[in-house]
Amino acid sequence: MHSVRGESPSIEVDHLSFAYSGEDLVVRDTSLSIEGPGLVTMLGPNGSGKTTFFKLLLGILRPLSGRVLLNGEDVTGNPLRASVHASYVPQLSAVRRDLPMTAAEAVESALPRGLRSRSRALEALEMVGAADLADRRLSAMSGGQLQRVMIARALARGTPIVLMDEPFSGIDPRGREGIAELVEELARTRLIVLSTHDPVLTLSRSKLVVIFNRGVRAVGRPQDVYKLELLREAYGPGVLLIEKCLHVVG
Amino acid sequence: MYVDPRWVIVVLGSAAAFGSLSPLVYARRFSFFAASLPHSALLSVTLGYVLSLSAGGHPAAWAVALSLPPSALLIYFLHSGVSVDSATSAFVSFSVAGSVAAMYYVLTNYPARVSLWSYILGDPLLAGWDDALLVVAVAVPTCALAAYTYMEEMSIGLDAESAAASGVRVRLHDYLLALLLTVVAVSLLKAVGFTIEHVVMLLPGAIAARLARSARAFFALSLASSLASGAAGLALSLMANLAPAAAIGFVLLAIYVASLLAGGGR
Repeated sequence: MHSVRGESPSIEVDHLSFAYSGEDLVVRDTSLSIEGPGLVTMLGPNGSGKTTFFKLLLGILRPLSGRVLLNGEDVTGNPLRASVHASYVPQLSAVRRDLPMTAAEAVESALPRGLRSRSRALEALEMVGAADLADRRLSAMSGGQLQRVMIARALARGTPIVLMDEPFSGIDPRGREGIAELVEELARTRLIVLSTHDPVLTLSRSKLVVIFNRGVRAVGRPQDVYKLELLREAYGPGVLLIEKCLHVVG
Repeated sequence: MYVDPRWVIVVLGSAAAFGSLSPLVYARRFSFFAASLPHSALLSVTLGYVLSLSAGGHPAAWAVALSLPPSALLIYFLHSGVSVDSATSAFVSFSVAGSVAAMYYVLTNYPARVSLWSYILGDPLLAGWDDALLVVAVAVPTCALAAYTYMEEMSIGLDAESAAASGVRVRLHDYLLALLLTVVAVSLLKAVGFTIEHVVMLLPGAIAARLARSARAFFALSLASSLASGAAGLALSLMANLAPAAAIGFVLLAIYVASLLAGGGR
């Protein structure tokens, strides 16, 4: 089950535009082409539309114009079709920890009806080093533990593409390092696109960096893209170069 | 103490239906909807009665048919971006005003032929065999559907976006749950009564959420607390000459308080 489907996962975005209402475009005529496997880090300020972009990739939102192709298949506005190719790890703040659910059940519930079983859920938890949490209630977990469970939930279906929305938020520094190592390991056989405010953890592990603010502003290798002038395009003047290190302060 | 089998069927059947839906209501944060449903159910039942007299057919069938479009419309508005508060306010305003107007019409035009009190207070002790059969016909498929869709509903409750990304049809489940709740609320209004219906819809799930350590236990405990409160409430009402719906409500409340005191909800 956990063998990753497809040899070379790919994401293609073709002139995508989206607005929640009116003419305020959250994603403006953006295009992107990524092939995997590997880790892609997406950087952008709060409110830049990264989560919206992920939802467009997953078919959960239908764009005003443009297309999304996952592994060559048009999945625009079609979450069922997209679910064959991609999985999603939401921000921890969106996850309801008060639900009486064990880790194994959280993973199991994301499996298709015919494949749903505890043993499959345990396999996925094993992959993320969380097998010992299988019978623990979600409300009794730390942020790092819950994030591993949510990653297992995404991995359980064996899709070759995984989108992770700020997987380091709400996790202590030690937990973040552990998640970053896990993501690096997983990216060896999958195309993982990860949004974050903490690029230090992922830059050296990424094959590509995408600078995003209401559309793709720049994309390329970390050493080519993680630069003052390109980051300022997304973050504005709040990016400073201090002691040869880039800092986002605004 | 005489116990009519129809009372038992009506009370336990209703308890099973509400007890199986209650964890879904909790998991999906549908309590806003469940709490407003009795208003809509009362309107539908009243209009259903009038229509059955003028156009023929079974009042319950009319009531169910009339209740579904407003519920579907409410979910449609929520999906269209209308806030829960705004949509629920409009839904409740419409159903409350409508039910008062409809009840006034019925009470002034058919005073000797219908007792709306049984719908307001709930009276399983007046249930005939047709009422008992209706409860069974509603409760069995409701329990089956609730159990069948349970893991998907829990997955959506955990996080709707990742559930959608895993292939769950979230929008379809929204409509399905809303319509199922509507059918149950309308069909069983007479058994539990308008005044307490939202309590039996909400409390079993709230009790189970405090005590359960897993999703499966959550469902089982909700069902068990609902059935236990139904059985104990019926017995209490017969022994103490209380209104059955009130006795069931008191027992549910007692279980809930006990769950709070027990320090459940890890």
